[in-house]
Amino acid sequence: MIKLVQNEMMKLIAKKRLLVIAAIIAVLVALFTYAQYKQVETQRHKLGTNDWRTILQQQIIDTQNRLSSSRISDDWKKQLKVGLQQQQYYLDHNINPSEPGAPTFMRMFLENSIDLFLPLMVMVIASDLVSSEHSLGSIKLLLTRPVRRWKVLLSKYITLCLSISLIVAITGIISYLISGMVFGYKGWGAPVLTGFNVTNQGLGTESVKLLDQWQFLLMDFGLVWFVAIVVGTLSFMLSVLIRSTAAGMGVMLAALISGAILSNMVSSWNSAKYLFMVNLRLTDYMKGTAPPIEGMTLSFSLAVLLVWWAAALAVAFWVFTKRDVY
Amino acid sequence: MEKTTLSVRNLKKTIGKKEIIKGISFDLKEGEVFGFLGPNGAGKTTTIRMLVGLIKPTSGSVEIGGYNIENHFFEAMKNLGCIVENPELYPYLSGWDNLLHFVRMLDDVGEERITEVTQLVGLTDRIHDKVKTYSLGMRQRLGIAQALLGRPKVLILDEPTNGLDPAGIREMRQFIRFLAESEGLSVLVSSHLLSEIQLLCDRVAIISKGKVIRTDTVEHLLSNREQLIWSFEPFEKGKEILSSLTKTEDSGDGFIRTEYESEKAALWNKQLVDAGVKVTEMNRKLPALEDLFLELTGGDKID
Amino acid sequence: MNKNILRVITIIAAIFFVLWLGGLGWAMADYYGGKPNPITASKAPEKAKENGKELRVVAIGDSLTRGTGDESGKGYVGDVIDELKTKTKKPVKLLNLGVNGQRSDQLRTQLGQKEVQRQIQRANIVLMTIGGNDLFRGGQGLADYQSDKLQIIEKSYLQNLTAILKQIRTSNPDARVFFVGLYNPFMNLNEGKNISKVIRRINYESAEVSASFPKVVFVPTFDLFELKVNDYLYSDKFHPNTKGHRLIAERVASLITW
Repeated sequence: MIKLVQNEMMKLIAKKRLLVIAAIIAVLVALFTYAQYKQVETQRHKLGTNDWRTILQQQIIDTQNRLSSSRISDDWKKQLKVGLQQQQYYLDHNINPSEPGAPTFMRMFLENSIDLFLPLMVMVIASDLVSSEHSLGSIKLLLTRPVRRWKVLLSKYITLCLSISLIVAITGIISYLISGMVFGYKGWGAPVLTGFNVTNQGLGTESVKLLDQWQFLLMDFGLVWFVAIVVGTLSFMLSVLIRSTAAGMGVMLAALISGAILSNMVSSWNSAKYLFMVNLRLTDYMKGTAPPIEGMTLSFSLAVLLVWWAAALAVAFWVFTKRDVY
Repeated sequence: MEKTTLSVRNLKKTIGKKEIIKGISFDLKEGEVFGFLGPNGAGKTTTIRMLVGLIKPTSGSVEIGGYNIENHFFEAMKNLGCIVENPELYPYLSGWDNLLHFVRMLDDVGEERITEVTQLVGLTDRIHDKVKTYSLGMRQRLGIAQALLGRPKVLILDEPTNGLDPAGIREMRQFIRFLAESEGLSVLVSSHLLSEIQLLCDRVAIISKGKVIRTDTVEHLLSNREQLIWSFEPFEKGKEILSSLTKTEDSGDGFIRTEYESEKAALWNKQLVDAGVKVTEMNRKLPALEDLFLELTGGDKID
Repeated sequence: MNKNILRVITIIAAIFFVLWLGGLGWAMADYYGGKPNPITASKAPEKAKENGKELRVVAIGDSLTRGTGDESGKGYVGDVIDELKTKTKKPVKLLNLGVNGQRSDQLRTQLGQKEVQRQIQRANIVLMTIGGNDLFRGGQGLADYQSDKLQIIEKSYLQNLTAILKQIRTSNPDARVFFVGLYNPFMNLNEGKNISKVIRRINYESAEVSASFPKVVFVPTFDLFELKVNDYLYSDKFHPNTKGHRLIAERVASLITW
C-alpha cells in the first residue's frame, strides 16, 4: 500500500498541482493582506487613532445604529445582535478581538476561506484524481495489475488526504509569512475567547473560555481540515462517478457556491440544514456567531458532514470496484 | 504437449438488453502468437477488456495461467501483461518513472527489471526523458516494456501496430515473434488487418458480431483463397484460353480472376504466351478480409 | 524524479495529517469537555494619558448626535468639529457614540460601560443630545401630554439626566459638557402650542439640572426652530435637515472655548 501511495504522490507532484495551488493561495493572501492593511489605514484615518478600544467602541456604536434601522431583516438583526454582544464582551473584558499580527490574520483568513476558497483548492486535486486516469486512458493500465481495485482507490484516497493536509498547511504558512511582512509576526499568545453560547435569546457568555491564539488556531486548523476532507471526499466520489474532470468540478462548484448563497437565506427552510454545504462554516461555532439555521450546533454540523463523508466514500468504493471500464 | 496459458470459455457480455459478446471460446498455447481478427465493432476490444479484467463478463470464464480471473484475480493478473488500445502512459512522467510506477504495483519485481525491459525494447537512451517527448513508436515500445515488467506468461496486445509507420510495424512484428519464440510467451494480438495477422500469427480466431466464426491456423484459413489477377492482349482470346484451363471470373474492368496455385500459374502463363497472347499483368492477390468474411459468414455484411 | 523529495513531501504531509487530526480532536474535546475558565486576564484599561497635544471630542446621545437628517451625514457634531478645526492648530479627534433612537435610560446604561467611561475620561469636550426619544417616541408625536404618563416620563428622564451628568463628572471633572436642548418639530401642527409648552418646561428643567454640575453648558435650540420650523426639518418632519444641523452647530461652536 505504501508503494501505491508513493505512486500517487509521484504523479501528483509531477503534475505540479500543489505548486499551482500554493501560487493561487499566495496571490489571494497578498490581496487580502493589502485589503486588510487598507482597511486598518482607513479606520485609523477616520477615527484618528490606533487605539483598538476606540475602534471597537465605534464599531459597536455603528452596529447599534444599524440595528435601530427598521429596514433590516429579523435574521440579520439577530446575527448582528450576537456579534454586537460578543464585541461588547471583548471590550468589557479588555481583550482585543483582532490583535494585530500575522496569527490573527491567519485566523481570519482561515475562517473566511473555510466554506469556499479552501474547498475549491481541494477540489482542484480531488476531482482530478480518478477522472484524469480515465481521460488519459491510463486507468486501463492501472487496473490490469495484480492489485485489487479497492487498493488502487484507497491509495488514491490516502494521497488525497495527505495532499489536503498539505494544502491546509500551505495556506497557514503562506498566510503567516505574507501577512507577517505587513502586520508583524507576533501574536501567538494573544488571548482569544471561545465558548460563546448562541441561543434564541442572544449570546450566552456563561461558558466562555480564554484561549491563547495558537491554541485557538490549532483548533481552527483542525476544523478547516475536516471540512476540506469532507469536500475532498465528495469531489473524489464525483471523480469516480463522472469520468470528465471538468464536469465533476462543475457539479462540486455549483454545490459549494449554492451553499454559500443558501447559508444567507435558508433560515426559513429548515430541512436545508441537512445539506452538507450549509454546514461548512464550522469555525463559526468556535467563534460564536449565529448559525444560518435555527438548531444547528457544532455536533449537528459535524454529524451531517460525517454522514455525507461516509456515504460519498462508500459510493466511490462501491462504484469503482464494480464498474466496467471501457 | 504444449501448455495452455490462456483459456476462454463461452464468454458472454450483455449490456442493457443487447448481447454484445455471444459466447466466445478459445485457448492460447505456450509460445504461440494468436491473432484475434475482426472488423471494427465486432467485439474485439470488449472481449479483450474482459480477458484483462476491466469488464466483468456476464457469463463464461477466463483463466490465465490456470487461475480464474474472477476468483483469483491477483494470481491471474500476475501472469498477464497487456496493452489495451493505445499504451496510455503518464506523459508528465519520464519513461523510467512510468515503469517504476508499474513495478511498484508488482510484488516480487525489483528496479533492475526496469533496466532489463528497457534494454529489451531498446529505449535505454531516452528512458529518463518525459514520455510526452516520445514518438508514437517509442510509446508503443514503452507500453510493451511495462507489459513485460512482471515476466508474464501471457501478453495481450490490442492493435499493436496501430498508428506506426511501415518500419515501426516491421520492427514491432519482429519483436513480437521474438518474444514468442525466444521467451516462450503466449501473445494474443488483435487486429482488423488481415495482412498483419497473416505475417505475425500462428493461429487466428475470426470474430464477427460477437461470435468466433472460425479458429484455425493461418495457412489453413488462407489456403485456396488467394487469387491471381490477369490482364492480357487480346483480351477475348486470352479469356478463352484461360477458361479452358481453369475456372475464371471476369470482373468486368478488363481483368480476369483465377485461383492461385503456385505450380499451375507458370504453366497457364506459358500456354497463354504460346498462344500468342501478351500477358500484361499477373497479380497475386491476398484475399481481402471482406471477401473472407463474406465467405465465412455466408454473405453477412460487416457492420 | 528525485525520490528523496517525494519521500520528504510525503512524510511532511503525513505529519500535518496527524497535526490537523489532533487539532480537530482538541477542538471537539474543548468544545464539549472544556470547562469554562473565568476570565481573569481582564486587566483594567490603563489610565488615559493626559496629553495636551490633541483636542478630544466625545459625542453621546441620540439620532441628532448621529447626524440623522443631515444629507452629508456629518450632523451637527461633524459641523462643530469642522468649526473647531479652523479655530485650533491641534488635531481634533472625534468619537461619536450617538445611537439612533437612544433614550435617556439607555444612555445611562451606555455610560456605565468601562470603555465609554474611559473615552469620556480622555475627552476635552463632551457633546450630548438626549431626551427627544423619551418624549416623542421616535417621532410619532408627543406621548399623551396631558396625562400622568407624561409626568412619569418626565420624572424618570430627569433622574436619568442627573445620573448621566454625574457619571460624566465622575469620569472626567474637567471636560466641558455641552448639552443640546430640545426643539419643537411639531410647531405647526394643531397641538403645536401645547407641545411647545411641554418642551419649554423640560428644557427649563434640563437647564436646571445642568446648572447643578460644573462646566456643563445647556445649549438651547428651541428658539432656533421656533419661527421657520419647516425650513429646517428633514423629510421625516422630525429630525433637522442639513440646514437645521448647521444652525445647531453654529450655536454650539460659538460657545466652545478651552
